Amino acid sequence: MSENLNPFKVAQTQFDEAAERLGLEPAMRTLLRWPRREYSFTIPVKMDDGSSQVFHGYRVQYNDARGPTKGGLRWHPEETIDTVRALAAWMTWKTAVVDIPLGGGKGGVTCDPKKLSEGEKERLARGWVRAVARELGEHRDVPAPDVYTTPQIMAWMMDEFETIVGRSHPAVITGKPLPLGGSQGRNDATARGGVYTVREACAALDIDPGGAYAIQGFGNAGQFAALLHRQVLGGGKLVAVSDTSGGIYQPDGFDPEEIIDYKKKNGKVAGFPGTQPISNEELLELEVNVLYPSALENVITAENAGRIKARISCELANGPTTPEADEILFKNGVHVIPDFLANAGGVTVSYFEQVQGTYNYYWPLEQIHTSLDAHMTRAYQEVRQLQQEMNVHPRLAAYLVSVTRVAEAVKLRGWV
Amino acid sequence: MMIDMQRWPTAKDERWVSGGVAGLDALIDGFRLGDNVVWQVDTLETYRHFAHAFFRQAVRDQRTFIYIRFGAHAPILASQPGMVIESFDPRDGFDVFSAQVNRIITHWGARAFYVFDNLSGLVDWWATDELLASFFRATCPYLFELDTVAYFALERDHHSDEAVRIIRDTTQVLIDSIVLDEALHVRPLKVWQRHSPQMFLPHRVEAEDWIPVMLEAMPETALVHETTAPWVTVYNDLAVGVRDGTLDRASAGRLRRKLTRMLLGTDEKILHLADRFLSLDALLHIRRRVVGTGRIGGKAAGMILARAIVRQQCDDVASAFPLLDEDAFHVGSDVFYAFLVHNDLFRARLSVTRTGVVSHEDYAELERRFLAGTFDAARIDAFAELLDALGDAPYIVRSSSLLEDGFGNAFAGKYRSEFCVNAGTREERVEAFMRAVKLVYASTLNPDALSYRRNRGMLDSDEQMAILVQRVAGQPHGRYFLPSLAGVAFSRNLYAWTDRIDPRAGMIRLVFGLGTRAVNRVSRDYPRMIAVSHPELRPEIGEEVAAYSQRHVDVLDLDAATFATVRLREILKQGPFPELHRYVSIMQEGYLTEPVGRRVQPAADVVLTFNRLLKETDFVRVIGRMLAALEEIYEHPVDTEFTAALTADGAVEVNVLQCRPMWLPGAQARVEVPTDIAPDAICFRTNRFINGGVADPIRYILYVDPRAYARIEDEQYRRTLPRVVGQINQDMRSRGERLLMMGPGRWGSSNPELGIGVGYADIDQVSVLVELAHEEDGHVPEVSYGTHFFQDLVEAEIIYLPVYPSDPDTAFNDAFFHSATNVLPSLYPTLRPYAEVVTLIDVPAERGGCQVQLVADPETRQAVCYMA
Repeated sequence: MSENLNPFKVAQTQFDEAAERLGLEPAMRTLLRWPRREYSFTIPVKMDDGSSQVFHGYRVQYNDARGPTKGGLRWHPEETIDTVRALAAWMTWKTAVVDIPLGGGKGGVTCDPKKLSEGEKERLARGWVRAVARELGEHRDVPAPDVYTTPQIMAWMMDEFETIVGRSHPAVITGKPLPLGGSQGRNDATARGGVYTVREACAALDIDPGGAYAIQGFGNAGQFAALLHRQVLGGGKLVAVSDTSGGIYQPDGFDPEEIIDYKKKNGKVAGFPGTQPISNEELLELEVNVLYPSALENVITAENAGRIKARISCELANGPTTPEADEILFKNGVHVIPDFLANAGGVTVSYFEQVQGTYNYYWPLEQIHTSLDAHMTRAYQEVRQLQQEMNVHPRLAAYLVSVTRVAEAVKLRGWV
Repeated sequence: MMIDMQRWPTAKDERWVSGGVAGLDALIDGFRLGDNVVWQVDTLETYRHFAHAFFRQAVRDQRTFIYIRFGAHAPILASQPGMVIESFDPRDGFDVFSAQVNRIITHWGARAFYVFDNLSGLVDWWATDELLASFFRATCPYLFELDTVAYFALERDHHSDEAVRIIRDTTQVLIDSIVLDEALHVRPLKVWQRHSPQMFLPHRVEAEDWIPVMLEAMPETALVHETTAPWVTVYNDLAVGVRDGTLDRASAGRLRRKLTRMLLGTDEKILHLADRFLSLDALLHIRRRVVGTGRIGGKAAGMILARAIVRQQCDDVASAFPLLDEDAFHVGSDVFYAFLVHNDLFRARLSVTRTGVVSHEDYAELERRFLAGTFDAARIDAFAELLDALGDAPYIVRSSSLLEDGFGNAFAGKYRSEFCVNAGTREERVEAFMRAVKLVYASTLNPDALSYRRNRGMLDSDEQMAILVQRVAGQPHGRYFLPSLAGVAFSRNLYAWTDRIDPRAGMIRLVFGLGTRAVNRVSRDYPRMIAVSHPELRPEIGEEVAAYSQRHVDVLDLDAATFATVRLREILKQGPFPELHRYVSIMQEGYLTEPVGRRVQPAADVVLTFNRLLKETDFVRVIGRMLAALEEIYEHPVDTEFTAALTADGAVEVNVLQCRPMWLPGAQARVEVPTDIAPDAICFRTNRFINGGVADPIRYILYVDPRAYARIEDEQYRRTLPRVVGQINQDMRSRGERLLMMGPGRWGSSNPELGIGVGYADIDQVSVLVELAHEEDGHVPEVSYGTHFFQDLVEAEIIYLPVYPSDPDTAFNDAFFHSATNVLPSLYPTLRPYAEVVTLIDVPAERGGCQVQLVADPETRQAVCYMA
C-alpha cells in the first residue's frame, strides 16, 4: 500500500498539522501520534463442518486520557491494523470534539462475514470477547457496531462478557438490540446530529433556514437528513438528491417523504416524476444554502471546489472533501461542517446508551433528542468560536478543539 | 338401368376433368378443377385401380401429376414417366408432415393432379382420427384453391364417424366402394355442385358398364363405425384387459408401450423413465384426464415423472411429497391442430413459421385471430366438464408442447401460461378457460418463440401444443389467493460465490406467493437465494439483507379476477398469514431480528428472509433430497419449479410443478467449450468462475489494465474511474450494445486500492464481468466473486469470472489487449485523459468482423472467451 494512502499515515499527518498550530511539546506529540495500547490476537473458531479456522482480531485503544476508549468493531476481509489504528485516532478526536468523557478506540476481525453462518458468527463474536475481555468494560473500553457487525453480534458479545465476569454489565458494549438495553434514537442519530449543527450554522451565519438544500447520497444518513432538515430547521426546500443511479433536481422543491418512498420502491431516486435529471457532479455545484455530502469520500476536490456555490457543506459522509479543497472552500466562504463533527451524533447516542446501561435505566426518545441537541449545539459553537479566533478552516478548527481537549487531559493526568 | 354411353360428354368446359374411367365420368359428370376426391375402400386394390386410370388420363391430358408417397403399404402407383413422386415420412409428426405437403403443393402450383397414399395409414403413426381429420382439413382447401384434382383413400370401418364427417364436409367428392360377390360396387356419397337422379345409387361395375343396383349390404349409413385408431383401441383393450384380467403379459406390455408413446411422445429417455416409474394405473389415470386426443406434452410429462420419482426415491422424506394426482388435467395436442384448421389458422401459422420472423404488430394481429377462433360444441362441453372436475379453485393453463422440457432442448419460458381465477357463471368460466387456451396456442407464434426456434434450427420440428390445466396450489388470504412458498430449484448451483458452497448440492430461488417472481427475473426485487449445502450463507449482510429481499408478491386477486403483483404489506393487511413467523424477519431501529414465537406484530416492519424456515424446518433438506434424486434418475442436472407450504406443526409439503434438464443460462442444450480455437483468437481461458453460461456475441471490450491502474498516482483520477465506466456503460445502453468488462480486482469495492468502485448501475450493460487478479510480490489477492452486487448479477444473468493471468492453468492474451486499438478517445473525446488506463476495443473492427464469444461450463470448470 502506498504511503499516501495508508490511512494511519493520513491520520498522523492531520494530527501533526494541529499539533504544529497548537505548538504542542514533542512528548505530547509523540504520545498523541500513536495508540496507547494495541491488541492483536488470533481467534480459533469451530466451523459448522467440524473444521477449525483461525481468524485475526484486533483492538486498538488509541487514547483514554478523557475516559474509557470507545469505538466500533469492523468485520471485514480487507481489514488491516493500520485501518484500525487510523479509525481509533479519529474516534479520539470525535469524542473530544463533542466533549463526551470518552477516549477513542477501534477493533476488528479480518474475516468475510458473508461467508459465515449465524452459528459461526456467534462463535467468532464470543471468541473475540474472550480474547480481550480483560481489557473491556464500561470503565476501560466500550466497543460498538461498525462495518458488517450488527446489534445481534453486540448481544452475543455482551452475553459472553457477562458470562466471564459473572454479573450483569450492559454498558460494556453499545449498539445492542433494544430489548437488551440498546438506546432509542440511534437510527437517525448521525443525520440528526448533523442537522442540529446546520441549524446552528444558519443562525451563526445568518442564513435563511427556509432556503434550498441538496443531498448527495441517499442512504440511511441522507434520507434522514432530508426529513430532519425541515423538522429541525422549521423549513427548507429540498431541491436535489442523488444516489449511485444519478440525481434529480426540482428548483421548486419536492417532498422528502415521497422521494424516500420512491427510492424504496424503485431502488433509486432517478426517474422520480416531475424532476429533471442531474449528475452527482452537477448537484454538488448547485446554488443552495445547505449541501449534505452523504455518500462517498473525496467528492469535493481541488478540481471542483471552486464551483461549489453552497453556503454550508455539512459532511455526513466520512472524508468527502480533500485537504486542497478545504482551503479553496474556506477562501470562497463556503462554510464546511467537518465530518467528525457533523456525523458525531452516532457516537454521542452510543455514549447515551453506555450511560443508560451504567445506571440500568433507559431514557425516553425526547430525552435522547434533547441531550443530543445540547451536545451538538455546544460542540458546533465551540468549533465555530475557535475557527473565528484563529481564522482557520473549520476542519482544522475542529481538530484544534479536539486535540486541545485531549492534550489538556493528558496534562492534568501528569503523563507528559 | 345402364348408363347411357351416348351421353358421354364430348365438349366439356375447360374445368371439366376426366377420371380416366368412362363409367365414373358418366356417373358423376366427371370431376372439376378443384375437386378433392376421397375414395372410401375396403381394399386398396380398388384405390389402385382408379388411381391408375386417373394417372393415365392425366398423362393423356398432359397434366402435371404428383404421387404423394408416405404409406407403409405397397405403392399405389408404380413409378413411370409423367409422374413425380414426392416421399414423406409421417413419423416426423403431424406438424412436419402437413408443412411438407403444403410446401409441395405450393411448389407445383395450380392445376397439378395428385394421388395420395392411404390416409388411414397415418393413424398408425399418429394414433388418432382427430389428427387425420385435421390433416385433411388443412390440406384440402389449399388444393381446392389451386384448382388441383387430388385423390385420397380412406379405409372403410377404420375411423370414427366424427372424423369421417369432417372429411365428408371438407371434400368435394366422396365415393364409397365395396367388393361384394367378387364385384366392385361404387356409390358416390357426395358430389359437390352436381346432381343427377341416379348419382347417389350404388352401381355395380362390370367392365365398361356401371349398373345401378339396390343393395342391402351397402346401407345408407355405411360410414358410421367405431374407430380403429390406437388412441381408442389401445386404451379400451388395456382398460378392459386389466379389469377382466384377460391380458397376457406380452400383450399388456405391448399395449402399455403404445399408450405411453401416445401420451408422452417418442423421446426414448422419457419413455424409459415412464416404464420405470409410472404404473399402468398411473398411465390410465393420465389418459382419463385428457380432453380430446393426443399427447400431454413435455412439461406435463416432466411434472408427472418428477412427482413419481421423488415419491419413490426419497423414502426418508416421502411424506413431504403428498400425492397430487387429482390436481392436473390435460388438453391433448391434437386439439391444437383441430383448432388451427377449424379456424383457418393453420396456413397462417405455416407462413409465419416458414420464415421464422414475425413482427410484434403482426403477432398482435395473429393473437386477435386466435382469440376470435372457436371450438366446436362437443369440445366446449368437454371443457366445461373439465372445469366442473377442477371445482372452484383457481387454476393455471400452462403450455406443454412437445418441444418443451425435452432432453434435447429445454424450450423454457417461451410460451405462455395463464392464471384463471375461476369465478363467475359456468359460461363465464368456460369462456375464460377457452380464452386462456387460445392465448397459449397463439403464443406458439410469438416473436420470441419463433426467433428461438429459428436460431436453433427448430422451425420444422413437430410442435404439438398440449395444455396442462392445474389447480393453483395455495390458499385464499383476504381478497388474494397465493401459495405460501414457491420457487425454482436447480440441482447444480451456478452461483457458488464462495468456495464453502458445494455447487453439486444445488440452489433454490425461493419466494413468498406465486413462483412467477422466482422464475422471472425482476429487477430491484429479489428472491431468497439458498445454497443447499449452506442455506444460511448469503452474500449480503446487515441492511443489505433487507435491500436484497422480496418486497412484492405475485398473487391472484380474487376480487379483480386477475393475476396481480402487490406489495407484501398489502398481503399482510388482509389478516394474519399462516406460519408468517418462519418467513419474515423484523426490521427494528435499522437491524433485523427474528420474530419471537409465532407472533408477528401487525405493525412490524417485516422483511422476507425465510430465516426461521431455513433454520427450523426440513425445507432445505427436502428440496435437496428431491434435487439429488431427480438428477440421479435423469442422469443429468435438473431445473425444477415447486410450491411449498408448512403444516401447522412445521412439516414441509412440496408440490413439484415442473422438472426439466438444466442448461446453462444462455444455452438450451449441453454446452461444449470449443477446443479448436486459434491461439491468437483466444482472449482468455480460466478455470475459476461462479456463474456459468453462454454469452451472446459481444462487440465491445472495456479493459482496464491492472498494471496501469496500479501505477496511478493521482488518487482523484483513480476515484473518477467508476464514473468513466458508468458513462461508457450508459452510452452503450443507448446504443443497445452489451459489453465485456475486464478490470483489476474487486469490481464495486469501496476501496480503490482493491478495485474500481462502480455501482451496479455503472455496469448493467455488461454481459460478462471479469475480475483480473494479478499476482504481486507472490501474493494473489482474493477475488470478490462479485459479492458487491452479487444478486443484481444473478438477476441480470451477468456472467462473473475471476481470471488469474499468472495461473499456469489460465491463458491470457496480453498481446491482444495491449496491441488492440483503443477507440475510447474517438468514441468519447471527453474521456481522452483516461485512455491510458481504460481501453475500449471494438472487436469487429479490430479483428475482421469477429465478435467476442464466451462459454463457461461449470461442469468441466472451463471457461473460454474468444473472438469468432
